[in-house]
Amino acid sequence: MKLWAIMRRDLLKLMRNPLTLLSTILMPIVYLVIIGNSFQGTLKNLPLAVVAEDRGIYAIRMMEKLQALQAGPKTIRLTYLEDPGEAMRGVRDGVYKAALVIPPDFSKNVAQGRLAELGLFTDNVDQISTDAIEGVLQGAAATLRMKFVTAREPKLKQIVLRPSDLFTTVDYDRSLIPGVIVMSLFMGSLMSGVFNWVMDRFMGVTEGYLVTPLSRWEIACGILASGVTITSVAAILVLFSGLLITRSTIQGGLPALAMLVAIIVMGATGILAMTFALLGRASHPRLVGTFAGFLNVILFFPSGAIYPVESFPPWLRSFSRFNPETHAVSALKSILFKGADFAAVRNDLEFLAVFTALMLMLASISFKRTL
Amino acid sequence: MQPDSAAIRTQDLVKRFGNFTAVDGVNLEVRRGELFGLLGPNGAGKTTLVRMLTTLLPPTSGSALVAGHDVARHPKRVRRVIGVIPQAMTSDLDLTGWENVDIYGQFYGVARRERRERALRLLKMVGLSERGKDLVASYSGGMRRRLEIARGLIHAPEVLFLDEPTIGLDPQSRRAVWDLLEQLRRESDITISLTTHYMDEAETLCDRIAIVDRGRIIALGTPSELKSGVKGSDRIELEVKGDVERIIATLRAAPGVHDVKREGLNGRLMLRADDGAHLIPRLIGDVEAIAGHVTSINLQRVSLEDVFIAFTGRSLRDEPARKVSLLVGAGMPQQR
Ligand SMILES: Nc1ncnc2c1ncn2[C@@H]1O[C@H](COP(=O)(O)OP(=O)(O)OP(=O)(O)O)[C@@H](O)[C@H]1O
Ligand SMILES: [Mg+2]
Repeated sequence: MKLWAIMRRDLLKLMRNPLTLLSTILMPIVYLVIIGNSFQGTLKNLPLAVVAEDRGIYAIRMMEKLQALQAGPKTIRLTYLEDPGEAMRGVRDGVYKAALVIPPDFSKNVAQGRLAELGLFTDNVDQISTDAIEGVLQGAAATLRMKFVTAREPKLKQIVLRPSDLFTTVDYDRSLIPGVIVMSLFMGSLMSGVFNWVMDRFMGVTEGYLVTPLSRWEIACGILASGVTITSVAAILVLFSGLLITRSTIQGGLPALAMLVAIIVMGATGILAMTFALLGRASHPRLVGTFAGFLNVILFFPSGAIYPVESFPPWLRSFSRFNPETHAVSALKSILFKGADFAAVRNDLEFLAVFTALMLMLASISFKRTL
Repeated sequence: MQPDSAAIRTQDLVKRFGNFTAVDGVNLEVRRGELFGLLGPNGAGKTTLVRMLTTLLPPTSGSALVAGHDVARHPKRVRRVIGVIPQAMTSDLDLTGWENVDIYGQFYGVARRERRERALRLLKMVGLSERGKDLVASYSGGMRRRLEIARGLIHAPEVLFLDEPTIGLDPQSRRAVWDLLEQLRRESDITISLTTHYMDEAETLCDRIAIVDRGRIIALGTPSELKSGVKGSDRIELEVKGDVERIIATLRAAPGVHDVKREGLNGRLMLRADDGAHLIPRLIGDVEAIAGHVTSINLQRVSLEDVFIAFTGRSLRDEPARKVSLLVGAGMPQQR
């Protein structure tokens, strides 16, 4: 009952401040749409699996082109595989952004001037990377044809690069949804959690609560429960507004939705606990504001929400491996666009679970029932 | 119920902040049902003392029992039986008056029906029945304070602590708070500890007063005991006829009279004396014994303010400089 009393207070306060909730929902969306549309730099090191089933001359030329791209502009990073099935699984699990399959009759078709096809299997969850890979491969194929054209002009039709989507197409706006959700998780848990706590203490309001028999655990769990509730509701609203705006649906129906909610709740808990562990003892709300802005930037941008993690320089890449938002984004992306495939998100979920447990522990150590 | 008959009992209670001693060996006994005043200048250590008694700050040394429970060893037991109205306003602006009281009752585990009944009665008592459904943000300072008093009573505490409840309120609101406290005393056997630096407040309300300065209790007693403890600060104005010079000499010799001054050329005399009310009949006798005549007499009793100044001196308190963070500055002044 006492726990509920604390939640009741927080929820009532939130209801009287709809602007706070609205801004935790609207701001991430606006933010991401603007950033998403203004970031157009070149991508690097996009992992591409290559399966050459043809050892003919044109296949070799194609491979040389790819190697040149890897050595020169470094747009792609090649992995050579024998088994197309393995390559496709790699794409599904997010190991490769795409898999290029050079079919057995490729050289023969080119030589005979028939329609020569290359198979490109892409991870359409990450549209920016896929676009970039398609772009450089088109270029490579085109130069191949150019050379060819000079040799045997009339008969060549073209080397067609036929992108074959492993999953339904995800356009750019839609691929931003996980990032928007994660940002709202951050904003929401900050606004409903540590900011209120530090503000209340600063204004002396906490004093009125610390003289009651409420225990340290009741206070902590009450704040956690209301913060996670508010944040999760905000994030779920963001999810549905995102789907509505991009006119898309969740792949995998209800089980997928349940998993999304689970990830959202876990992410909210982890981030809320993290902000308490870091800022719970702050003496001034201004400190919370400053650090939170900073934290938002260093967690959000390396999370792969906008830009593929693979394109980061190594130091940033290793940082983002330990960034909870990276795993939240990655898990949400997989579920949202590939369906409720537990195996695909298992690693991310494991990380989030460990992270959340660790942060809860740290927060409970740093949380004091004092003025 | 408790073996200890006192509502509050402290023994050599000390609180240090770093090497600054805010409360310096306080021994205090407040009887049950008493309205006890803590009076002292800014920075005297009143709030710090109350915070120790209300389990917000752990004492550096010494001990304190509130309603028979040790504040350091059994803070939760203490919290259950005390009501606290802190110096800063602590009600939630975003909640209605009624919600503030009701949620607070939940914190104490008061059952729902009981909460409803008490909230209704308390809001009526503090004159907020009509405004209970309004957000506290729309209240005036006085209304907010009265609401906080109602809130502090929702769990029917045995001891109520009020830390400067009337600070910043207009005279009407102050009276309203006074009336409330007086009503509480009449209608229940609650013990009230009231912190203030308003003399009139302490004088009107309190059974006994402790004057606190620099962390110590420097005087303790009923208002009239405290006053009679101050030597020579009753002022008696006399108008006499007869041999004025001789009358002056006689009065100067009377025990209890400290100083006699003649004002102007007529028989107007100003006396400083102890316990003027008892002295006057004797003074009149003395004057008449030497064929003088008293035509008018006026007694100005010492005020508690005089007592206060007499005990605490006139100098402003130099408080230790508060530590201000190099990184974030002071921000807003803290309500301490
Ligand atoms: N947390 C703290 N850290 C350091 N010093 C403190 C702290 N709290 C209070 N003090 C100091 O202790 C002294 C007593 O403060 P306290 O608030 O108890 O005084 P007070 O009698 O309530 O004064 P006021 O009438 O202004 O409310 C002051 O000098 C104050 O600066
Ligand atoms: Mg004070």
